[in-house]
Amino acid sequence: MTLKIFITGATGFVGSHVVAEAVRRGHEVTAVVRPSSSQDPTVGRPSVNAARIDLRSKEGLADAVSGHDVVIHLAAAKAGDFAVQFAGTVVATENLLGAMAESGVANLVGVSTFSVYDYLGMRPKTLLDEAAPIDRSPARRDEYAQTKLIQEELFRRFGEVDGRRLVVLRPGMIYGAGNLWHALLGAEFGSRFLRIGAKATLPLTYVENCATAMVLAAERLTDTETTVDGETINLVDDNLPTQRSYAEAVMARTDTPPSIGIPWAVVRTAAGALAKGNELLLDGRAKFPGIAVPDRLHARFKPLRYTNAKAKRLLGWSPRYQLTEAIDRSVSAQETS
Amino acid sequence: MTPQPQRSTAAIRRTTTKGATSHSETPDQQEKDRPRETAGHSPPIRAAVVGTGGISKEHLGFLAGRASAGPVEGRIRLVGVCDLSEVAATYAARQYEADAAFTELDSLLDSAMPHVVHVLTPPATHVPLVTKCLESGADVICEKPITSTAAELRQLLAVADRTGRRLMESHNYRFNRTIRAIAQSIADGRFGTIREVEIRIALPVTDPDGRFGDPNLPNPIHDMPAGVLHDFTTHFGYLVLHLIGPARFDRIGAAFSSHQDHPLFAYDNLDAILIGRRIIADKPTGPPVHARLRFDAGAAPDTFTVCVRGDRGWTETDIFQPYVREVIPRPVGSQLSPIVNHVVNGAGLVRDGVRNVGRKLLQDNPYEGLHHMLDKTYAALADGSPLPVSPDDMIATSELVDQLLDERHRL
Repeated sequence: MTLKIFITGATGFVGSHVVAEAVRRGHEVTAVVRPSSSQDPTVGRPSVNAARIDLRSKEGLADAVSGHDVVIHLAAAKAGDFAVQFAGTVVATENLLGAMAESGVANLVGVSTFSVYDYLGMRPKTLLDEAAPIDRSPARRDEYAQTKLIQEELFRRFGEVDGRRLVVLRPGMIYGAGNLWHALLGAEFGSRFLRIGAKATLPLTYVENCATAMVLAAERLTDTETTVDGETINLVDDNLPTQRSYAEAVMARTDTPPSIGIPWAVVRTAAGALAKGNELLLDGRAKFPGIAVPDRLHARFKPLRYTNAKAKRLLGWSPRYQLTEAIDRSVSAQETS
Repeated sequence: MTPQPQRSTAAIRRTTTKGATSHSETPDQQEKDRPRETAGHSPPIRAAVVGTGGISKEHLGFLAGRASAGPVEGRIRLVGVCDLSEVAATYAARQYEADAAFTELDSLLDSAMPHVVHVLTPPATHVPLVTKCLESGADVICEKPITSTAAELRQLLAVADRTGRRLMESHNYRFNRTIRAIAQSIADGRFGTIREVEIRIALPVTDPDGRFGDPNLPNPIHDMPAGVLHDFTTHFGYLVLHLIGPARFDRIGAAFSSHQDHPLFAYDNLDAILIGRRIIADKPTGPPVHARLRFDAGAAPDTFTVCVRGDRGWTETDIFQPYVREVIPRPVGSQLSPIVNHVVNGAGLVRDGVRNVGRKLLQDNPYEGLHHMLDKTYAALADGSPLPVSPDDMIATSELVDQLLDERHRL
């Protein structure tokens, strides 16, 4: 069945792949593009329309979303201070959901993130699945985690109304062209890269695999036979690599900055001591870089286990590209661009 | 926002003062009950915030008692937060422990009955919102620029006068630690008679990732007569007048430029010279004074330097990276004074460098002056003493901004 899908964040790293996948699967797409964007997702795609809208404003939003079967909401702010990310993620979502309610669009695929989980409270090597607790006191997490948590609240509130359907997707770290060297490996330190830990499994999903899962979720949500209404689904690929194996696979194919490896235990202990000292001596008022804040550090580097069983079961998803092929495709795409 | 019938000031007093149910509602009694310019609010002072943009966290943090260490700590109650976005209002109310969240100003004024409203919305909304707050019986603290012209400001002050309420524009940097120190040194005569103030701001406001440069949802400040620079001309205006003292500038040359040709920005650069005389006994017959104002969106790093020169010595600071340097006659005589100044200022720079590391770690930011200003403001609201930014300060600043923008003074 052909769906009319409204996709926000459509020209972003993930959104552009979701649009491509939706088109490939025969759907009609309205791609939400920011007014100033030079990208045109309609080029060469007769089944794609563009809606040039900024979700932080309500103007034109209800008209634009009206008549669609389902919304895949990807747009979010990933940089900037709290106010900027609050506007780009939370207020944007509030406006979108208000427009959906106003125009009677009832199906929402809300794209959340692995960042919402309470990593500090988890024991190492624990299985992180959809039942894992989310962070209830995220004041020390980064702005992205804080705003995505509020966004999830808005998703849930939207889905509580009779007649509406909601599935929340929580992708792990999404990698691909332009995002091979990412925050779960370490942090930049001058001209070098500090690689933190080596043995932890990475909760990765390759961008094209992830895009397929998102379109599948839209299809399942609107299908009364197989609906995934009310579900929360984590998205990670099969055969997840460790930090070391992933970094070696990337380094074998790309130019990467010189890096220095630091064991997880050393960084974890140092950050813990710093946090204790901050609490004891400075009443917790001192602000340190993210990797020196335990709440943020654990969210990025703590060794845990992951599963995609629920995604496979409910969405019928099978990640198409394995790590080596995914990196090859990413490198090719980077070279082409 | 929906129109709302006005409540009587007697009703405000009756509701907000516990147990004061015996208040009569006769017009005379209402008049008697209305807090006057010189009458303070009994604690806790009921405060509300309208607008939850970037600056709101500084006001809300103060009101929640997190930033205040002044005389009114613990004597303020945050009774409401209002924003057009329900989620923004609700989040701010929860985060800063406000009693309630509102999406309509009328509801806030009617239900929360604040004594004081902080208006933190875009400048173009100030006149109607401030008017409504004053007419409801609340005092108002408003972010700058409070209005686009001095004429509009006079209208607002007339409303404040008519309603017996108090209105204050935020002149926050006047209250930063180093500016206060410099003002004290000026008052002590350390630099002699002040002849010149030079203020330079360098900020990459055209950065597309910044709050002014986003082309997708242009910041409302772009609608002001000087665009983004209007925000900064207010700072220039009140700092010049604060450090020089009352003055009339009869020769002004202001070059507003758009060096980066950014489509959103009317201007990204200002180079202005002001020449006048100090006002003595209401007449500009005092010593001559000069001011030089520079704003540059292309210069780096971020800077907000203030330099004051007198006929005995000079001083400078950077509000973003606070330090104070003073070059003055030392007791060792004119031959050795330059050397002593170097040594003393060198030691001072080292001390301030260490302090700034602590500031960075402890998340102190240039808004420390805003918190100090609010402390003084609430102390004044509590005891009925004059507000730290007077109506005269506001009018003088606004008139100076008008002069800078006047086409006749453009270079």
